[in-house]
Amino acid sequence: MVKPTRVTNSIRSLRFANGEMTQADLADRVGVTRQTIIAIEQGRYSPSLEMAFQIARVFRVPLDEAFQYSDELR
Amino acid sequence: MTFLEKSNWVVLVVGVPTLLVYVALVVPQVLGKPIAEVSWVQPMIFAIAGFIVANVLGNVVAAASNPGEADRNDQRDREIDHFGERVGNWLMIAGSIAALVLAMTMADHFWIANAIFLGGMAAALVSSVTKIAAYHGPFQTW
Repeated sequence: MVKPTRVTNSIRSLRFANGEMTQADLADRVGVTRQTIIAIEQGRYSPSLEMAFQIARVFRVPLDEAFQYSDELR
Repeated sequence: MTFLEKSNWVVLVVGVPTLLVYVALVVPQVLGKPIAEVSWVQPMIFAIAGFIVANVLGNVVAAASNPGEADRNDQRDREIDHFGERVGNWLMIAGSIAALVLAMTMADHFWIANAIFLGGMAAALVSSVTKIAAYHGPFQTW
């Protein structure tokens, strides 16, 4: 189901700002597979609101610091 | 690769040869003699049983290759699974409708059984291809 999304994220930079956390570490903390974290980082999958909050909570940042809603379709 | 993706690869790796062997055994007969004389029941039973057993064994091997991931799936896995199943269901329904029409028109059992069989095999294969494509491309459920 290929649909354009306006949702972007800063997960990659947040991971590096948090002691170069690996995708596997983040996946373990959120309770998802590493493949899902990769897909989110690459913009191939937009997480649910609940998963987005869980990811932001891992980095101890507000939701809109981890995820942004762009003006342009990607 | 998640366990669920591996599981879908197992369906493809097992399903395609199964279908090809069945077709290779039955189609030459269909072309060469009357339908009533075609030996299709045994090949179909072996194809269905072989497909199920090989799938189970393939999943066991896939799980054994990475036991930690075997029971792990998340929201994305479930969404991809549901999406693929929905696509496959349309083929299953198409096969069933074809079987219904064949039964209503008093077609030979051969055609009715094969419409159901091919609908089921096509559903399994297309569903797996859809899921694998969803794992590797953009995927949104909304």
